[in-house]
Amino acid sequence: MTMKKFKLTEEGEKYAKEGLPEKNLIELLTKKKSLDMGKAKDSVFNFAIAFQWAKKNKWVDIKKGKLILLRKPGKIAEQDALQNLSNGDDIDEKTLDMLCKRRLVEEIREDALKKAQKLVGKDVTNLTEDLIKTGLWKDVKLKPYNVEAVGKKVFIGKRQPYNAFLSEVRQKLVELGFREMTGPIIELEFWNFDAMYQGQGHPSRDWTQTYNLKEPKMGTLPDKNIVNNVKETHENGWKTGSTGWGYEWNPKKAAQLMPRAHGTALSARTLANMPEIPGKYFAIARCYRPDIIDATHGVEFNQTEGIVIDKDLNFRNLLGLLKQFAVEFASADKVKFHADYYPFTEPSVQLSAKHPELGWVEFAGAGIFRPEFTQPLGVMEPVLAWGLGIDRLAMFKLDIKDIRNLFTRNLGWLRKRSVL
Amino acid sequence: MPTIELSHSDLCSLMGTVVSVKDLEENVIMYAKGEVEEIDGDNLKIDIKDTNRPDLWSAEGIAREIKFRLSPGKLPKYKMKKSGRKILVSKEMKNIRPLIAAAIVKDIVITEELLLQMIHLQDKVDETFGRKRKEVAIGIYDYDKVKGDIEYRAADPNKVKFVPLEFKKELSLKEILNQHPKGKAYAHLIRKYPKYPLLADSEGDILSMPPVINSNYSGKVEETTKNLMIEVTGYSEKYVSTAISVLAAALSDRGGKPESVEIVYPDRKVTTPNMKPKSISIDIELIRKISGLDLTNNEIYDLLKKSGYGIKSKSKKTKLLYPAYRQDVMHPIDVVEDVIISYGYGNVEVKVPEIATTGKADETEVFSKRIAEVMVGLGMQEILSYTLTNKNDLFGKMNKKEEPIAEIENIVSSNWSVFRNWLLPSVLEFLLQNKHIEYPQEVFEIGDCVVLDNFQPTKTRNVRKLAGAITNSTVNYEQIASYVDALISAIGIKYKLRKTNHPSFVNGRCAEIFVENKSIGFVGEISPKVLNKWGLEKPVTAFEVDLENLKPI
Repeated sequence: MTMKKFKLTEEGEKYAKEGLPEKNLIELLTKKKSLDMGKAKDSVFNFAIAFQWAKKNKWVDIKKGKLILLRKPGKIAEQDALQNLSNGDDIDEKTLDMLCKRRLVEEIREDALKKAQKLVGKDVTNLTEDLIKTGLWKDVKLKPYNVEAVGKKVFIGKRQPYNAFLSEVRQKLVELGFREMTGPIIELEFWNFDAMYQGQGHPSRDWTQTYNLKEPKMGTLPDKNIVNNVKETHENGWKTGSTGWGYEWNPKKAAQLMPRAHGTALSARTLANMPEIPGKYFAIARCYRPDIIDATHGVEFNQTEGIVIDKDLNFRNLLGLLKQFAVEFASADKVKFHADYYPFTEPSVQLSAKHPELGWVEFAGAGIFRPEFTQPLGVMEPVLAWGLGIDRLAMFKLDIKDIRNLFTRNLGWLRKRSVL
Repeated sequence: MPTIELSHSDLCSLMGTVVSVKDLEENVIMYAKGEVEEIDGDNLKIDIKDTNRPDLWSAEGIAREIKFRLSPGKLPKYKMKKSGRKILVSKEMKNIRPLIAAAIVKDIVITEELLLQMIHLQDKVDETFGRKRKEVAIGIYDYDKVKGDIEYRAADPNKVKFVPLEFKKELSLKEILNQHPKGKAYAHLIRKYPKYPLLADSEGDILSMPPVINSNYSGKVEETTKNLMIEVTGYSEKYVSTAISVLAAALSDRGGKPESVEIVYPDRKVTTPNMKPKSISIDIELIRKISGLDLTNNEIYDLLKKSGYGIKSKSKKTKLLYPAYRQDVMHPIDVVEDVIISYGYGNVEVKVPEIATTGKADETEVFSKRIAEVMVGLGMQEILSYTLTNKNDLFGKMNKKEEPIAEIENIVSSNWSVFRNWLLPSVLEFLLQNKHIEYPQEVFEIGDCVVLDNFQPTKTRNVRKLAGAITNSTVNYEQIASYVDALISAIGIKYKLRKTNHPSFVNGRCAEIFVENKSIGFVGEISPKVLNKWGLEKPVTAFEVDLENLKPI
């Protein structure tokens, strides 16, 4: 219960003695049964208040311009409470609350000075507002705390460290002028494979290499022109100057759905959707492959990759871009390039970066998209494509040996991790 | 990515020069898109990354590729003699396994190295390039045991019998599929046909049952064998002819003398292998444009020669010849890469592209980050889970009726078989893993869920959601409701809570969250039934909201 003390206001004192206005109104009505409004106003002090409360309590009503009594209340709780308070007795909280709202009762505020004066000359634990306001803090002794005791454990909220790391990567790529690409997790085989000139019989499309969906199974192919260009390119090279793969392209296979197997699906969608030229794009894409799950293969993984499009880009620019990434992301002081193979780039390249602590690491795979990929989607300009080994860096930074721990289930570890 | 096992000394003898292991490692990386993975004395293991170049998947091929670069010469010529032998293809093969190609290699000294490389190459081509013998299957025979012309025909699986390789007993074709290890492994390729493919010579001796197994008589190659016959069967002209050329080239590089075989189809005749160089025309300017290298025409011609191309005509459109075993040259761009490889990636002067563009992060990501900051401000720890999960976690343990969701067909583990369509199960699973960690625990996750949506081309849609949970020995609804209030107020939008019944929550202790009369999520106390199903022992209050619907419009 509250330790607060209350007293009657001036108005409260008056009603305690003379009765609440509504009480007086009821008493008057009990005698007269009905009253003209005008007469009532003259007979009852504070008639407006009286009427408001009596009406609210459904004791009275107005009928044909006359005030009538509906029900005579027994005891009026507020009236009793006023009496009790003036006698110094306790009253129930609900009624007290009501009386406070009606400003008939108010809290007794002990004088700050008086309260503070009680503490003068004493050993004080709590430095109070009163002491500070009155300046009497000079006349008390503040007891020392055990300041060397370690504070009680408080678990603060923090970002998930791998997520926070990816946020920084995103921020850096945006600063380098790249726009972020996003797309559906469940993808058409068309965007995941066909559009990038991966033949329908290519080993990477085998069920051991990529997931298939049981439900839903088939999606719908995009714009007919694009589909037809891709079909022709696979079959005979279309207008790209290629021989093509030389087989009959099956639109049903291309319309099958699968969980996205690589971020390049997003680049394919971007190219088909009239990209800005010159343009720079990136994606941090969640990808899925049916690998045996171990310390280097998670159930899912993120690929950080992107493209740069402009009319006169060449292989030297590609290597320049990769070197820039190696410096920005892996703090590399040296880089090495060598030939590599990706089904959808030619020429292709791999970059090894000399990380100050990890030593030489394979950091990026890249290439120039094959004309059989870009031209059927409507892009005639060279497209530089790159992918970065960001997870490897994340593992190093977070001191994680098992890639599955990027998605850690260990709250203790998360709590202990430094935010730096 | 095929892994090739070979010996350093064998590779040097094939190249005709001695190259140190260290230099060899460098050469393999630079010229063959490979990586020396393991060195054990004289034995090396090399990973070749290019899955489109079966000609590089043996000691002979790697040696050839490096030799071009170290001492460029003329395009290798494989002089073919006609053997006079024929393979007669029966009409029925058209619907079973229609194509065959063959070559004969005479006067070959079968060494241990050759045998090893030949078997490796056969295996790599069968498994990787031939997609586990479906597209391409290779058979190698002791030619001296093959009499007269050969028949490629369909045979009755029950009546026709022979002794399969490494067996002593004669078995019917059907029995071979059931009993021989190779029969079991490749049965699925032919079992569906009423008759199986068969190769037999003019005396009726059976050579093999392609693509499954050779006979133990003529289909066995040993160190005493002097002359070889190789045969490739399949469905695609391109695949079959590439495979036979790759093998013929490798055996010729070992000193064998290749001879051709005439394939007689019911409607046409073909001579295999066709080792005649293929040709491609390229505009020299494309090489300069794509490489960005300032090269004279003559420098380019030299680099082309180093890459194993022959130059037929030097004009604006340069006509190039290249070996028949290469099937990866589809577009002039493929030649450009070969030229840059010969120039040396390490010698290319890099140039950062100067393109001024304005970067921009995805709006959902930016919004998610802001929301994460609010949640962290409330003292909640962020967690991150997989989007793949299973139906039991999503529905069974949540006391919820099963809903249609995106399901994987070829699962690796039943734990990861469907895509989550809500987040709370991921959060409860996390709490389960941390029962021994100090309480209170307050965690949240922001992540994608996948929901079915027939209006989308992919029949699904990503939905970004946020879920949070508080668990302690006692919890109260007010705290989680205040968190929800703080979150939505921080965004600056109005919302309402309306009492609801949710199977995962205690009756009378769950509210639905409405923004602009649209339900965007729920908040409440998790039902003890659900806690029991998960094995959670402390009460949990939780909420989940759809982030897209929280974005102020």
